[in-house]
Amino acid sequence: MTAVTLPTTGGSVRASARTVSRQRAIRRFKLVLMTPLIALFLGLLTPVLLLQLYFSFHEWTVYLGSWWDAEFVGFDMFANVFTDPRFGWAIVRSLAFAAGSTIGCFLFGFLLAYLMYRPFRGQAIYYIIFILPMLTVPVVVAYTAEMLLYRNGPINDLISVLTGTNFQVAWLSNPHLALATVALLEIWNWTPFSFIILLAGLAAIPKEPIEAAEILGASKWQIFWHVQLPLLRPVILLALILRFLEAMAEFPKTWALFQGGPGTATETLPIYIFITTWQYFQISKGAAMSYVVMVMMVGIVLFAIHMLRREKRSLDVMYGTAAGNLE
Amino acid sequence: MTMTKSRRRRATTIIRYAVLSIWAVIAFFPIYWMVSTSFKPSTQWFSWPPIYFPDPPTLSNYMNVWLGAEEYDQAQYAISSQKPLISMWNSTVIATTSTFLSVLFGSMLAYGVSRYRILSEARMFQLLMLRMIPPIVVVAPLSLYYSALGLLDTRIGLILVYFLTTLPYAVWMTKSFIDEVPREIEQAAEILGASRWRIIFEIILPLIRSGLVATFLFILILTWSEYLLALIITKTQVSTLPIELSKYQGSTEGRVYGRQAALAVGITVPLMIVGLVIRKHLARGFSFGMVRR
Amino acid sequence: MARIELINLNKSFGAVQAVRNLNFTIEDGEFVVFVGPSGCGKTTTLRMIAGFEDPNSGEIRIDGRVVNDLEPRDRDIGMVFQSHALFPHKNVAQNIEFGLRMKKVSPEERVKRVREVAEMMRISHLLDKMPGQCSGGESQRVALARTLVTNPSTFLLDEPLSSLDAKLRRELRAECDRLHQELKRTFIFVTHDQEEAMTLADRIVVMRDGEIVQVGSPMEIYADPVNYFVADFFGSPSMNLVPGEFVRTGDGLRFRSASFDIALPARFETVSPGKGTLGIRPEHVRIDPGAEDCVHLTVRLIEPLGKDTLLYFDVPGDRAFVAVREGLHMTDVRIGQPMAINLDAHCIHLFDGEGRRIAVPRVA
Repeated sequence: MTAVTLPTTGGSVRASARTVSRQRAIRRFKLVLMTPLIALFLGLLTPVLLLQLYFSFHEWTVYLGSWWDAEFVGFDMFANVFTDPRFGWAIVRSLAFAAGSTIGCFLFGFLLAYLMYRPFRGQAIYYIIFILPMLTVPVVVAYTAEMLLYRNGPINDLISVLTGTNFQVAWLSNPHLALATVALLEIWNWTPFSFIILLAGLAAIPKEPIEAAEILGASKWQIFWHVQLPLLRPVILLALILRFLEAMAEFPKTWALFQGGPGTATETLPIYIFITTWQYFQISKGAAMSYVVMVMMVGIVLFAIHMLRREKRSLDVMYGTAAGNLE
Repeated sequence: MTMTKSRRRRATTIIRYAVLSIWAVIAFFPIYWMVSTSFKPSTQWFSWPPIYFPDPPTLSNYMNVWLGAEEYDQAQYAISSQKPLISMWNSTVIATTSTFLSVLFGSMLAYGVSRYRILSEARMFQLLMLRMIPPIVVVAPLSLYYSALGLLDTRIGLILVYFLTTLPYAVWMTKSFIDEVPREIEQAAEILGASRWRIIFEIILPLIRSGLVATFLFILILTWSEYLLALIITKTQVSTLPIELSKYQGSTEGRVYGRQAALAVGITVPLMIVGLVIRKHLARGFSFGMVRR
Repeated sequence: MARIELINLNKSFGAVQAVRNLNFTIEDGEFVVFVGPSGCGKTTTLRMIAGFEDPNSGEIRIDGRVVNDLEPRDRDIGMVFQSHALFPHKNVAQNIEFGLRMKKVSPEERVKRVREVAEMMRISHLLDKMPGQCSGGESQRVALARTLVTNPSTFLLDEPLSSLDAKLRRELRAECDRLHQELKRTFIFVTHDQEEAMTLADRIVVMRDGEIVQVGSPMEIYADPVNYFVADFFGSPSMNLVPGEFVRTGDGLRFRSASFDIALPARFETVSPGKGTLGIRPEHVRIDPGAEDCVHLTVRLIEPLGKDTLLYFDVPGDRAFVAVREGLHMTDVRIGQPMAINLDAHCIHLFDGEGRRIAVPRVA
């Protein structure tokens, strides 16, 4: 180091030239770390979102010549979307599907986690079996479901044998049942998710408060209700929120198994957007619909994030990772 | 209290094993069915009553699907256009490359967030939006944008999209590992003369390497099984395994369950191996590192 | 060579002012100990010298050169951390070698210097081990070796001994002392343990609430604490501090509290009456029934320490009044027994209502 700054006066100090350069070095370092993210945002995400905005206001289908010559139609596309009853029903189906499967995953996952969070013989084996559904590719789940659920298929057969009745449910062709079938598949597929998260949460609860409650004479139920459940709240919310959002986006199983059918019975938002765009080739309507869904989802996600941020803090306390302890 | 403590304990134990075993059957049966169907000759694919154990087990489905060996079975079930091995190669290249990029740059970002706060807490949560908003809402413009760039139906196109969509997981998950590294270790390196980059590559990343492996494998699971984006971006040149599998659905030859199952087993087995290797870290992964074990 | 000047340093974390207007100079080759209760700003000060924290204002100079703007690695300092901060994924030899590698020392030279330093710290047998396999004391020796090998002009030690047990702590304390004697480098040591400060320091800097309370040699600090806080902090058992009142009577100034009523020595003649505290170290409390102006207190607890015995007396308030007697004189004292004690007049400290020492020239 050759640059030696010798200030003439001792007391008052301003940022010297070197300070600025050190700070600049840190800034440059930060910028380099950020570069890939910035590049992806500017190069990929922003153009795509702008393009979508363009299509929402310009009518274009693949039959209408070059897309950059498309006619400006103002809010016509949005009007079209909002007056389309199929879109309304798609929203209803999506919400029902997401809510139902989320609750299902949570209940089963919680039951299993509660039965398993303390060590017992065979715990490891059960754990491995329980997470297998999550490790099955969703498309595979769909096709395996088809092999299992046809009218004379093994599931109906097994239920018939076990109940001694002639159980013949049309899981795949009954329009009143189709969405429930997908929801059941979603529950089968993702209960492991709720299970592992809640298991980790239960296992992370410190033993001392529970033991203290036991000594004070609390029953198992009281301990669960007054000690474990409040401590587990952030984990429960996390499991519910993440599962709900994933379920809103569910596409592969529904599409591979039903393509929205029978009729429109499984036409959830992702499916309807897909059909509009890739089967009817109404790119602009699809874009407008996408924008509406995106705004709706951003709303839901912002609310979810608000909840997550609050709960994340309790989680950090729970896992003892309070940041920035000075001295 | 009417029951003694030991009797009550035995009752809970019995209930526990009963419930867990029922669920174990529910969880395992579909997977068993897929595997057993893959070994069934075509006459047993959907016979009535259903056949639970392939008799005799045959490898012909695997031969046909993976090796294109039609002579092993009746010709009418063979689908000549399928190229599962090529798809497997595509899937492998696309999944590993995008995952590698995601983990490498994600961990560097995570380091910056953890130590230099390059993203505020609010920004970190906004990053999650990339993952939480259904990808369907952008696939149409994405496909047009890609066709303009010539990225449609290319591996690079898919790699870039997967890189973007898995980045939130990579950042959050590796950050949860980096947060656990005591800062004094870095400061010791710093005062001994290590530069910022050397601290990342010689201290931080080696220290969290098991966490990096877990993150890598976790994201691999996501990219390996992704369906929607692959469906839109790949057409004829490049197809991934989930897309290859879905081609059977549209085939005119009818339901070829044995073949589908043989292909499905091929797609699923690598995923399950990976998943079981990192089973202890799955909770951390799926919860963006918010839940630790 | 390293003379470190801290000029008008300020550092705050949010609303908390960790260091307040700190001015201090550490001479070359000096062993300075910063001591104080946790949260007093001593570690923040050390970390500012190291460069891990940027002061909000003020200047840090090493040998006259302002280093505020230098990266920690360019400041020619070594640092030993409380948690020893060894790299867990490198073995002991690689840990020690790290600094040399960063300075681009040739491999042969590195091997040689690592071996020398390991010998000096008596850890040659550990070189192939991983940090996880070393005990707490061994780890701290390795951490010292890792710092030593780069030969910095200044050593910063951040509570390096506080994670060790009492015996190891004494052992490594002696080690630090030896290193300072041999290397003749500047040592800056941070601790909350007054005993460490007393035994190691050339000069002690007592800090509290981000400010320097007193600077001095261990003996000065012990014998002439500037205020109640320093008096209380140093010494074990700590100084007896009795709250009460200074009262002027016909025959001079007296100190009065619920259990004391004694005449103060003539050197306190100028002290103005009012509330205050009387301080006397336990070793200056004499048990002497014959003396005039003695105080009668009841023994509450007898604590034999081996060489000495501590006698705790009942006084009102939350702290006991302690006296030290040499040897194991237990047969002649019983709990509950009233005793006459007398204070060594030369060693009485007085503190005013705000806790400041009432400075009076000492009688020779």
